[in-house]
Amino acid sequence: MTVHLRGQSAVAERAGNGPLDHLRTLVRALPVPTAPMTFPSREAALGLALMDLSFRLDHLPRLSEHLTLMDRGHMSRVISVDVDLDLISGRLRDTLMVPGDAALWVPVSRYSRRDLAPAVIRDSNGEVVPRLSHRDANRVTAAAFVKLLFMLISAHDDVSDQAGPIHQLRHTHQRSRWLIEAAITELVMVGSPVGPRMHTPLDHADLPGTSHPVRDLALLGLDALFPDAGGDRLLIPFARLLQLATRQYILVAQLGLDRPRRFLSWEAPLLPAQHRPAPLQTLAKNVLPVNREFVVEYETEIPRSVKAYHLTLEVRQEISVRRFLMASDVDEEFVEVLAQDLESVARRAERLGDHHKLLELEMQGIASRLAELGRRRLVDLASYEAYLARLPIPVGPGSVPPPPRLTADQVIAALSAGDCSLDVLAAFCAHYAADRMQHLARSGLAGPALLNIAAGLRAAQVGRDVTTDNDPREHGAHAHWRRPSVELSPQSTEPVRVFAFMALADEAPALIENITRMVAGLALVVLAIGTLLSGGVAWLYSSAVSANFVPAQADAVVAVLLLVPGLLLARLDLPSTKSVLGQLHKFQRMLAAASVAVTTALAIAVGTVQSDREMTRLFQVALAALIVILVCCLCEFYARRIHRSSSVPRSTRVPRWLRDARRAGQRPVEPDDFFDARGEV
Amino acid sequence: MTLPANSTKSSELARIAAEAAGNYSSSAQFTLTHGYGSLPISVISADPDKEDPSDWPTDFCHFSAAGLSVSTSTWPSVNSAFSGRVQIDPVEHAGPQDTYSYSGHAVPNPGFLNQSTRKVEVLITLGNTHWSPTYREALMQALIIEKLTALAAERDAPVLHLHTPVAPVPLSYKAERGDGSNERLRDAIGPCLRFSIGVDPKMSDARLDFETELAALAEEYGFGLKLDDQRLNRVRGDWFTIRGFDRERYRQARNRLFPEASAVTPRRAVIASVIGPSRTGTTAAAVAALRERGVGVLAASISSMRRTTFINLVLPVAADAPAESQQWTGGWLDALSRLSPGRGDEPGDSPIDDWKVALSPAMRCSYPPSSQQTGATTTGRVPYPIWLWWQLPHRTVDTPALLAEVQAALQPHTRRCDIAYAQSRLCRGDVVRGRAKLIVMLSQEHRDHETVQRLLADATEAAQLRIREWLPALGRVDPSKVRLRLSPRERWLTYAEISA
Repeated sequence: MTVHLRGQSAVAERAGNGPLDHLRTLVRALPVPTAPMTFPSREAALGLALMDLSFRLDHLPRLSEHLTLMDRGHMSRVISVDVDLDLISGRLRDTLMVPGDAALWVPVSRYSRRDLAPAVIRDSNGEVVPRLSHRDANRVTAAAFVKLLFMLISAHDDVSDQAGPIHQLRHTHQRSRWLIEAAITELVMVGSPVGPRMHTPLDHADLPGTSHPVRDLALLGLDALFPDAGGDRLLIPFARLLQLATRQYILVAQLGLDRPRRFLSWEAPLLPAQHRPAPLQTLAKNVLPVNREFVVEYETEIPRSVKAYHLTLEVRQEISVRRFLMASDVDEEFVEVLAQDLESVARRAERLGDHHKLLELEMQGIASRLAELGRRRLVDLASYEAYLARLPIPVGPGSVPPPPRLTADQVIAALSAGDCSLDVLAAFCAHYAADRMQHLARSGLAGPALLNIAAGLRAAQVGRDVTTDNDPREHGAHAHWRRPSVELSPQSTEPVRVFAFMALADEAPALIENITRMVAGLALVVLAIGTLLSGGVAWLYSSAVSANFVPAQADAVVAVLLLVPGLLLARLDLPSTKSVLGQLHKFQRMLAAASVAVTTALAIAVGTVQSDREMTRLFQVALAALIVILVCCLCEFYARRIHRSSSVPRSTRVPRWLRDARRAGQRPVEPDDFFDARGEV
Repeated sequence: MTLPANSTKSSELARIAAEAAGNYSSSAQFTLTHGYGSLPISVISADPDKEDPSDWPTDFCHFSAAGLSVSTSTWPSVNSAFSGRVQIDPVEHAGPQDTYSYSGHAVPNPGFLNQSTRKVEVLITLGNTHWSPTYREALMQALIIEKLTALAAERDAPVLHLHTPVAPVPLSYKAERGDGSNERLRDAIGPCLRFSIGVDPKMSDARLDFETELAALAEEYGFGLKLDDQRLNRVRGDWFTIRGFDRERYRQARNRLFPEASAVTPRRAVIASVIGPSRTGTTAAAVAALRERGVGVLAASISSMRRTTFINLVLPVAADAPAESQQWTGGWLDALSRLSPGRGDEPGDSPIDDWKVALSPAMRCSYPPSSQQTGATTTGRVPYPIWLWWQLPHRTVDTPALLAEVQAALQPHTRRCDIAYAQSRLCRGDVVRGRAKLIVMLSQEHRDHETVQRLLADATEAAQLRIREWLPALGRVDPSKVRLRLSPRERWLTYAEISA
């Protein structure tokens, strides 16, 4: 086989980041086929059906994820789904039939190709469900793309134009089409990297820049088939489809038709933490008495069609889940469309003004959507307040003033200034429902004020909802997300992004309480020995030195100073530093070690120092050091109290409107661990 | 590689391709019937095989106006061996006398993505008298269809549906807002046109420009313009009036543009069905070509089924034209020269040059004798509209059979019951969903508005119950899966809008 290669310059000339760049690169790099790459049409149909179903996953009414934090940096996930085969339409069902068996191939999930790890799917009886191998799934996907390309060529407007590249690809110059098909197959079978460009043999050869007619026609055909102009009509959808197919793989299970409703579960590949906070920040958390929390954030995508999504978290019994909060961007697309509508109307306010009723219709449409958003987010806020109130240590409204009661004019003025806080939106909703928002075209709202509203809506992240923890256990958490009863962007099949925020902490009975007791005990021991040696408590505050401070039997004092802290320390049960608990206890462990170090140093001094004066000073220093350590312990208690009473987590993944509603103005902080289960999408 | 995050269109592309490629099928098969009367003829065999997909059409469309009707059934087909994009042939002796049937195949266009678009529905009022268009009005209507669809085509927005004549919407008064139970009864049909286009929700600029230019057109020609109410929780059948009908301006525009056209009502018409793969700008091209040749449009029904567009037009035939008695099929350019023999062909680069046409012979047309708006209540026999919405499992009861049931169920209450349009399609979850509009004349005549309202409500309630009882026996369909609503008000059809 002759390998045709072209110069590096040719590759570089389109090295931008066009949507079909990887495909083009392969068209330039692959050998030109001399025979068509034929796939059985059954495989093509199966591949298309699997691709279609795996994007929507609308046969999965319920999805649950059970997260377990293994150690810091790794999360294991068990995924369970309810599958309803009756929701797969008859036509697709015929295509998905497993030959010779009353069973269907059913896609149940998509994974990043990076996470390749065996996934064993079990049904409710614990029996292992057969899966389509990764290789077979890729082959049918490649067949599907080849078929799709052929269908697009056959249905193209210019297919009968004999001079055009589409006609040539279809009828006269088929080698070019085979080349595109080979490139697609290669891309799907091998996968494509996330980086901006592919690494091909062309990068290593210095070839004269001669053109090759077959490749040129293939590239020209791609341009004609997927024109850049109006790219969002066909180019972007196709490229996106290809991108998903090359970066993810489909998990396909074989399910018998005898039981159309099934429950399946499997262990997803172990998830490594994506991101670590800055070293300085970690250091500060570890050496300051801030009673650190371990903050974990998790992000995933769920199909828009699932009706219910459960996220459960389980940690070791010693750790408490202090806060667990889930946000999803289910209304984000709706808000984005609304914001674009607002901007378009603002730009055209003058032209639309000539058709007064048209402007009024637009304004009313906008108003109804704003009102609906206000209503929804208010429901979310109420459920969040209820969550705060039912925490083991309830968080009250604090210093947040009661919401103001706004008149219609005040609402319009606030909105015009770009204030899309929940108070304003809720007041707008009430006025709209009471028919007080008529004749909006004549109000001050129609015009540039709409631009402010659009910016305000985006800034407040009004498209994100909030779901709270409802698990009564302290070392577990559960959030139940339900699809809103009325889908605001009904045509969309875009997956919903879900963000979970979890703050793990060491709650009472906590290590810090034991350590405080230990430090206080050691301080008392030092105080008692000092008092007994000096014959009074004067050594504590007076600079005078008692004559008999150096003990006659130093060995006994040394024994007490070494044995007591040792015994106390042994009872503390300090965790390993690798675990989450170890991270939480890092500072507290340091305090315990420091207190033991102080008494040990004092014991050494007692055994060696013979001067009364020095001995007194050493006892004073040791006691002062222990008191400082004790103060650090008390600071930890205070910091814990602050953390517990914090109303809204300081995280970028908590919607802005919630932080604003609770007047949480502090800067968001980076989480300790961030897990991204979205795959390379 | 940076791409916008949205994958809605990608999954739509995957779905279209999956549907088109499933079961080795690669084209759409269709049958078409032109005829008199209003009841569609079933295309499925008497004892259909429940498992055989080729026995059950997935999409169905029926439309009747001026006493003539067109019905179309479509289903995916295994056949892909034919040249060109569309193939259509007449079927001999297929049904009762005076019906003309055709069958054919078309290559669907998977790149025609319109599921993820936002629908903008428009109601145009071209008169406030009862519906009996003249040659001149037919030309004016053609001009307006051409202008409207061209506006959509300029923005690459597909025409999802176009229909004329339709029921006019009475002007609502503020006191009548609310559930609409007290609003005036609608006429069954009037000189009105309803059409909807799909716009990408993210391209609000295009939508606003379209609406603005539509309003400007309404101002120029004087036609009345209503848009579907875009507020949340408003449903289909809720309209927002942008401009009222300006009778004087419309009359002036009509007389200025078509001074020589005849002002009599055509007695004969041909039905032309123009068929091809869905693209934007096709309706405008077809109607423009006809109008340039002096052919107006009496009635029209345009819809897309399985990515194939069916432009069904009722075209008036000049009184002195020779009578053709044969049905005809052929290419678009040949059809044009057949429809207006005097003009030569001008081969252009129209987007429908490769489309095919089915032409019926000239047929006698009739117009509704009375209307409510024109005060015909005094003479009795007023036709009223009744809307129907249904959802049934696929392969149980086909749409013509269901419509016949509905007619039978309304029989005790009505003197006459016609089906003005019906459309059904196979949706996700293996269910067939459809809507229809029926025109009924009550067997009891009353002048009193409220009594008529009550009679209509009673008739629809009773008929609805009866159909629900009959359907399980008819198609062995699980009664819990039947959803059916029959109502004298369009907006009462919707079931609770809780996303399924």
